[in-house]
Amino acid sequence: MRRRSFIKSFFFSFFATFPAFFKAGSTSALKSAAPISADRSVPQVKSLFGDRTLLDSTDIHIDLPEIAENGAVVPITISTNLERISKLFLWVEKNPTPLIAELEFDESAAIFVTARIKMAESGFVTVIAQQGEALLRRQKWVDVMQGGCGTG
Amino acid sequence: MKNLGTKIRIQRQSGHTEIKLLVSHPMENGRNRDSISGQLIPAHFIQKIDLQLNGKTVVAAKLGAGVSKNPFFTFRLKQTNPGDRITVRWIDNLEFEDNIEHIIE
Repeated sequence: MRRRSFIKSFFFSFFATFPAFFKAGSTSALKSAAPISADRSVPQVKSLFGDRTLLDSTDIHIDLPEIAENGAVVPITISTNLERISKLFLWVEKNPTPLIAELEFDESAAIFVTARIKMAESGFVTVIAQQGEALLRRQKWVDVMQGGCGTG
Repeated sequence: MKNLGTKIRIQRQSGHTEIKLLVSHPMENGRNRDSISGQLIPAHFIQKIDLQLNGKTVVAAKLGAGVSKNPFFTFRLKQTNPGDRITVRWIDNLEFEDNIEHIIE
């Protein structure tokens, strides 16, 4: 009985860990070289960062309209005074292609960016900032009146 | 290909230099249909934008099709001096590209 359960758990852990390895490999490739793909199967935040902890930080400022009339053009401003930020990831969870942008900053650039993004429907906009090895997160909810065409 | 233009406007402000970038680009995600023919419009969007200061990349952006049509971005540099060269270049998934250069006065 004990041996059987051991074997069982071994197999479970084997199958549970290996796809994770595979995923981690493919997403790190995405992070380093490949541009963001147009296809639907862009990995979710979780697979983009694996099991790394995301710390919520109010020091990342996101300016977004609370209500967006037109989901095709939603203005966003991201800024922070935190030191040692090397990357920003901009993620819109409800979009068919959630990863909107990945920005890499040199020391001579201020961590400040404005953009106009598409939102398919109401949902959270997530900004993840990489500070050294740590990942900081800030989320903001946006009500989208009309997703319409051209979104995602 | 119609009207893929790139414009930048650079302003030195107290404490930083602001760079505004406007590109005329359809940013099609490949899921929209042509209203007349009903055919899918092929994906066509900017994948990379590089902002360089004197030849060194200071902001490197990878974009998806979730950026709105005719992308408009603002970036800030901590410090610039007169004579510094600012270059912005972009490339899309169909390998169209453009770059624009500006010397700070």
